[in-house]
Amino acid sequence: MESTDTNPSGAIAPAAPAAPRDAYNQPLPGGFHRVVQALNALGTLWIVALMVLINTDVLGRNLFNAPVRGVTELVSLSIVGIVFLQLADTLHSGRITRADVLLQGLQRTRPVLAALLHAVFHLVGALLMATILWAAWPTLWESIQMREYVGAIGDFTAPVWPVRVVMLVGLAATLLTFVLLALADLRRAAALRANRLARSAT
Amino acid sequence: MSPSLIACASLVLMLALIWAGMHVAVVLAVVSFLGVWLIKGDPGIAASLLAQASSDAIASHIFGVVPLFVLTGFLVAMADIGKDAFEVANQLLRRLRGGLGIATVASNAVFAAITGVSIASAAVFTRVAVPEMRRYGYNPKFAVGVVAGSSVLGMLIPPSLLMILYGFLSNQSVGDLFTAGIVPGLLLALAYCVGIVVMAFVWPRSVYANGVPLPMDDAALMPLGTLVRKIIPSVLMIVMVLGGLYAGYFTATEAGAVGAALALVIALLRRKLNLRTLWSVLTETGHVTVSVSFLIICATIYTRMLAMSGMPQFLVESMAQAGLGATAFLMIYVLIVIALGMVVDSSSILLIVLPLMLPLAEGFGMNLIWFGVVTVVAVEIGLLTPPFGLSVYVIKSTLQDESVSLGDIFRGTAPFTLMMMAVLLLLIFFPSISLVLLK
Repeated sequence: MESTDTNPSGAIAPAAPAAPRDAYNQPLPGGFHRVVQALNALGTLWIVALMVLINTDVLGRNLFNAPVRGVTELVSLSIVGIVFLQLADTLHSGRITRADVLLQGLQRTRPVLAALLHAVFHLVGALLMATILWAAWPTLWESIQMREYVGAIGDFTAPVWPVRVVMLVGLAATLLTFVLLALADLRRAAALRANRLARSAT
Repeated sequence: MSPSLIACASLVLMLALIWAGMHVAVVLAVVSFLGVWLIKGDPGIAASLLAQASSDAIASHIFGVVPLFVLTGFLVAMADIGKDAFEVANQLLRRLRGGLGIATVASNAVFAAITGVSIASAAVFTRVAVPEMRRYGYNPKFAVGVVAGSSVLGMLIPPSLLMILYGFLSNQSVGDLFTAGIVPGLLLALAYCVGIVVMAFVWPRSVYANGVPLPMDDAALMPLGTLVRKIIPSVLMIVMVLGGLYAGYFTATEAGAVGAALALVIALLRRKLNLRTLWSVLTETGHVTVSVSFLIICATIYTRMLAMSGMPQFLVESMAQAGLGATAFLMIYVLIVIALGMVVDSSSILLIVLPLMLPLAEGFGMNLIWFGVVTVVAVEIGLLTPPFGLSVYVIKSTLQDESVSLGDIFRGTAPFTLMMMAVLLLLIFFPSISLVLLK
C-alpha cells in the first residue's frame, strides 16, 4: 500500500529525461492536462474538508456533547467523489499501479514494441472506462427520479445524485486521458521507428 | 466451458497481463468482465456489475480512513517526528555494539505506531539514519539494510493500511486486527535487535566497514530537557491516535482524521510546512488514495466473478481430495504471496490473492484475524525481495548515492529478510502470538 504503496516508476526519478520513455506527466493535447489537474485540486480540497468535518464531529461529540449530524453518510459519499475526481490525474501522473518487469526489459531491446504495448494497454483502459460509463449512465437518472438519499429522514439526509454526477465526470475525464495517453504512445512509437530507419539508412 | 474452468483460465490470463505491464486494476476489471460475460452469457450483466462496483465498492465510512492515514504518514514525515525519535534512541543506545542499528529499529517501531504506511518510514529513515550510521563507520550495506528491514514494521504495528484493507476484504474488525499486530510487530523488532547485536559481535565486518566500531563522540550529547522535548510529539501522537481508538472515543476513520490534524498542527508549529509543500503532500495523498481505491473497486468485481464461478469451493474440494491439510495450504499460500511480491506491490497482492484464498482459509476453520497477521507479514517480505522490493526502491531514490547500488541494498537487506521469515514461521506455528491480546 503500502500500498498503500506507490508505483516504483513514480518513486525513481528518471535520469535526464532526454527522450520520454512513457506518456506520463507530459502536457496533453488541447491543454486537457489542466482540466485533469483542476479536477484533482477539487479532490484535494475535498480531502481537507473531510478531515475538518470529522474533527469537528469528534471534538463536538466528546467535548461539547454536540455531534455533527450525518458525518458517517457524508464520509461514505465523499470518498467516492474524491477518488473519481482524482482518478484521471493519478493516471496522468503514472501512479496507477502496474508491474514494469517486462516493459523495462523491452524498453532496452525493442523500444518501438514497448511503446506499442503501452498504447494497447491504455486503449484497453479506455474501453473499460467506456463500458462503465455506458452502464453507469442510467443509474444517474434513476437516482434523480427516485430522489435517492443517504441518512435517515428526520435526522439527516443528503441526495446521492451529485456524487453520481462527479463519478460520471471523473470516468469521462479518465476515458479521455487513456485515449490521449495511447495517442502519445503511438506518436512515440512512430518517432522511434523513424529514428531507427534514419540511423540504418546512414 | 464450465464456470470453474472459466475462472481458472481468467486467473492465468490475469497473471499474464499483470506481468506484461497492464495496470493491475484494469486487468482485474477487464478479466472479471470477460469471466462474468462467459459465465452468464450476457455482456449487459457484466457491465452493470462494473457500474455497480464503481459506485458502491468504496462508498463506506471505513474507506475515509485511507486518505487520512496516508496524509498523517506524509505529514509526520515532514514534521521531523521520525528524526527526533531516532536522535533520542541514538543517544540512549550509543554504548551498545550496533547501537545505531538498534536505534533505527526502535525509532522505526515508534514511528510505526504513528503512521500506517511503510514507504513513509523508508523515506524518512533513509534521510535520517543512513548518514548518521555512515558517519560512525557502519557498513553502508548494513545501514540501508536496517532501514529497509525495519520499514516493514510500519505495516505490522498499528495503525496499518494493509490491516484495514484486509479487514475490509475479510469482514473482520479492524480494531481486532490492529490489536493482533502489536505483539508480532514487537517480536519482529526484538528479533531485529538481537540479530543486529549477534551480527556486530560474530561478523563485525557485516556491520562496521572496518570491522571495528568507531568511538562515539560524547561532547555532542543533548541535555535531558531536549530529549524530553524531542520525544513529546511522538508520545502525543500515539496517545491521541491509538489511545483514543482503543479507549473507544472514536473509530478508525476518526483516528485517521485526528492524527492528520494533529500532525498538521505539529508540522505548522515547527515551521516545516509552507503552502507549496502542504499542497504537494495533499496531492501525493490523493494519488496514493486513488491507486489503492481504484484497485479495491476492481477487486470487488473480481470477487463477485469468483463467487459466481464456484471456483473457491472447487479448490476447497480438490485440496481435500488431494489430502492437503491446513499447514500445507498455508505454506503454499505464503509461497504464492511472496512470489507475487516479486512482481507487484502489497495492496495489489492482497486484492488479487484474498478473494480466492479467504474461502479456503475459512474452509480449513482458520482464525481469520491470525490469518490476516500471517498475510501481512508474508506480503511485507515481498517488499524486501528483488526484483520488485518497493521499500528498496524508495530507499534507492531517497538516497541519491551512486556508490550504493540496488543490488547492495538487496544484499544488505537479506539478513533482515531471513529474520522476517523466521518470525513468520513462528507466527504460523504459534497462532497464540497474534491472538494473545484478544479475548
